[in-house]
Amino acid sequence: MSNPVTMDKPGETVLLMGNEAIVRGALEAGIRIAASYPGTPASEIGNTLAEIAKETGIHFEWSTNEKVAFEVVYGASMCNQRGLVPMKHVGLNVALDIMEMAALRGVKGGLVFVSADDPSQHSSGQEQDQRWLAKQNCIPVLEPSDPQDAKDFTIHAFELSERHKQPVMLRTVTRVSHMRSNVKLGELKKLNREAKFDFEQFSYVVAGFDKMFYGREKEANEKIARMMAEFDSSPLNKLVMTGKEKVGVIATGQTYNYVMDALVKLGAKEKVAVLKLGTSNPLPEGPITKLLKGVNKILVTEEPDPFVELHVKALAKDANPKVELYGRIGGKLPAEGELMPYMVDGVIAEMLGQKPEGNPRAEVEKEAKDLIFGRMLTVCAGCPHRPSIYALKRAVKAVKGDIHKVVMNGDIGCYGLAWAPPMSYEDTYFCMGASLGVSQGMSQVGIDTIAWIGDGTFFHAAIPALMNAVQTKTNIKVVVADNGVTAMTGFQPNPQSGKMATGEATKSVSIEAIAKAVGVEHVEVTDAYDTKATEAAFKRMLKTEGVAMVISRRICATEAIRQMRPKRPVPYEVDESKCVGCKLCLTTFGCPGLNFDEDKKKASIDPTICMGCGVCAQVCNVGCIHRRDE
Amino acid sequence: MKTTRVVIAGVGGQGTLLATRLIAETAIKQGLQVRIGETYGMAQRGGPVMGHIQIGEAYSPQIRPGEADALLGFEIAEATRRGVTYLKQGGLAIVNSKKLPPVEVISGMRKYPEEGELVKLLKKVSSKVAVFDATKLAEKAGDPIATNMVMLGALAASGVLPFGQDEIMATMKESIPTRFLELNMKAFKLGAEALKKSKGLLTFLPRA
Repeated sequence: MSNPVTMDKPGETVLLMGNEAIVRGALEAGIRIAASYPGTPASEIGNTLAEIAKETGIHFEWSTNEKVAFEVVYGASMCNQRGLVPMKHVGLNVALDIMEMAALRGVKGGLVFVSADDPSQHSSGQEQDQRWLAKQNCIPVLEPSDPQDAKDFTIHAFELSERHKQPVMLRTVTRVSHMRSNVKLGELKKLNREAKFDFEQFSYVVAGFDKMFYGREKEANEKIARMMAEFDSSPLNKLVMTGKEKVGVIATGQTYNYVMDALVKLGAKEKVAVLKLGTSNPLPEGPITKLLKGVNKILVTEEPDPFVELHVKALAKDANPKVELYGRIGGKLPAEGELMPYMVDGVIAEMLGQKPEGNPRAEVEKEAKDLIFGRMLTVCAGCPHRPSIYALKRAVKAVKGDIHKVVMNGDIGCYGLAWAPPMSYEDTYFCMGASLGVSQGMSQVGIDTIAWIGDGTFFHAAIPALMNAVQTKTNIKVVVADNGVTAMTGFQPNPQSGKMATGEATKSVSIEAIAKAVGVEHVEVTDAYDTKATEAAFKRMLKTEGVAMVISRRICATEAIRQMRPKRPVPYEVDESKCVGCKLCLTTFGCPGLNFDEDKKKASIDPTICMGCGVCAQVCNVGCIHRRDE
Repeated sequence: MKTTRVVIAGVGGQGTLLATRLIAETAIKQGLQVRIGETYGMAQRGGPVMGHIQIGEAYSPQIRPGEADALLGFEIAEATRRGVTYLKQGGLAIVNSKKLPPVEVISGMRKYPEEGELVKLLKKVSSKVAVFDATKLAEKAGDPIATNMVMLGALAASGVLPFGQDEIMATMKESIPTRFLELNMKAFKLGAEALKKSKGLLTFLPRA
């Protein structure tokens, strides 16, 4: 089946995920370049771009981090090319420096960046609402409600960006990024513009330093004012109002779906005026004022912060000071987190004077919660991080006497699940690369630490911190849990993979060469599947003064299996005649492929889950685990 | 047309997403409107995974509690967890008896509930519960990895969807690489048969 994202059939309806629809929109807008760093819920945008880049002749790269990605695309924009920068919401924190400069200096070719926000943090450390950053920097924000919007709004975003010479934020939430639905395709477009750096707009020498450097805020503010006027009649905002309604809703982005479902359920389509809001910055004051003047009660739905609601409250002061405001500020909806359909049902029912239904399953859900475990996250069966953590814990115990003599500072990625039982060995993790920095501060005040970081994260944000440790003679121990790919987000290549986003071969950047080049004298590489050798390497590292590093290396097991398909690894099994039922493998290692047969009082291995790594055989004290063919 | 709502529950790595997509693509080929919401967390494998499929008029990608016409449970604990929330009174639950113990169970912190306890709880919301070992059937077809196609076959045979087995098989032929097709088709058919054989269940079904 051909990829629907590149299907040259305008008018055809296909199934697309929100993230794929953004790529389709970008192709219909004629992009020349795109750059990203993987992060859920944005990853599929880059994955899709990687798949279609060669075929469509655009440049796509998985950049080292989001700041680099933004700069790459901004460079092309100054040469009049359209470009897309997708990233997860916290990726924008990394790219913030250049985003602010692009907003002040302006763009030439349309520059659209995606902030895939994650209300209720399904796959993130925080639920940060990035619309505030856009507002702070005079950047317009478009919020699609579904995959069709995602495609159409992307095209609007590029046109808006070029019309006002300003970067545009296309802001999704997880429910839009991962929603699949019917999308009607438009025409694919190639702009074939000549690449030409615009000296008049961007050069200090040609445009003049004073003009380029000072007073840019004024220009950015003027752009936003012009956009605000334009948004009053923008097709991205739709007001449905007869003038007879007493109740109004401003439904932002994805929450429009909850509002419409609630109106169907409550049979209240005629009783409620709805503004489907697609431009949350700057707000279209015209339709909002019209709505405010016409109703007694107004609800603002949005996720997760009351970003629009705050502004609506301000507008109401002049438009209709008596209007009753329903939403997150007044406490009718929770102050944080994503909305749920029943919450929106309930608040609209209340506004209409109906009785809210609540959750009909609350009681039986409680019973299920008591009966069923929560299913904690852990690393996969066969994952090389599990034996690395296992060996590290043993080494720290052996050298320091107690694992709590050392603060274990983790980082962002699969290996961040080291805190999960039964390994339970990770005290902190914050944001990309932070393990090396916080470890240094602890070390400076006399606390022993380990910085536990993955290969992708090392390249993304840890190298400056490593140089810092060398320069300041700080005593830190760094373990690089190196599985060769950016696994948690879907096995994207990183600088050491030896290939680019499109699969094309390139040079491989060596972690150990970087460490040695910046002055780390003790650098060892070990095979994560060899627990004895790895433990010994960790012990040597712990006994070394100054900056010491062990790279515990082994390809991600899931990626290894992807590469060997359709062949499968030979699983391991338990020799029941030898197993003494001690559960050591379960309580100290805890691979998801292991289980315990309560009747036989023996350990067992599920052959459908086992990845054949054989580490559990090294963990077993009585030698009862072996490969099925041995 | 009445909106059809199905909740798919399982564990990361079980292939729930492919099953969901095949249903959705079939719906689109029939000219129907479809909405899918997928919830998957941070882990590549082993975490709880859920898909909400709505065919017909629906805006939200999330089904409300008590409104799903069918539950397709790839793992029995996940099936029960989601079923009690989403399955409507009298809705059909198709459940794989496969147990995938999470780390809490493996490391001895929690007990995996008995099958009987789980089914009893699920039956509090609907008596139409078909439990069978789909993973075993997939092994019979050639590879346990095809559990998702066994489950899909069972759902296709249940009559809950606004299209039947032939329409889904046509989509499979277009979407699944040739070298895996035979295995998947075999698994799909075994699933369809298994549902038809489920004791007493057929009498509940709207269409055979």
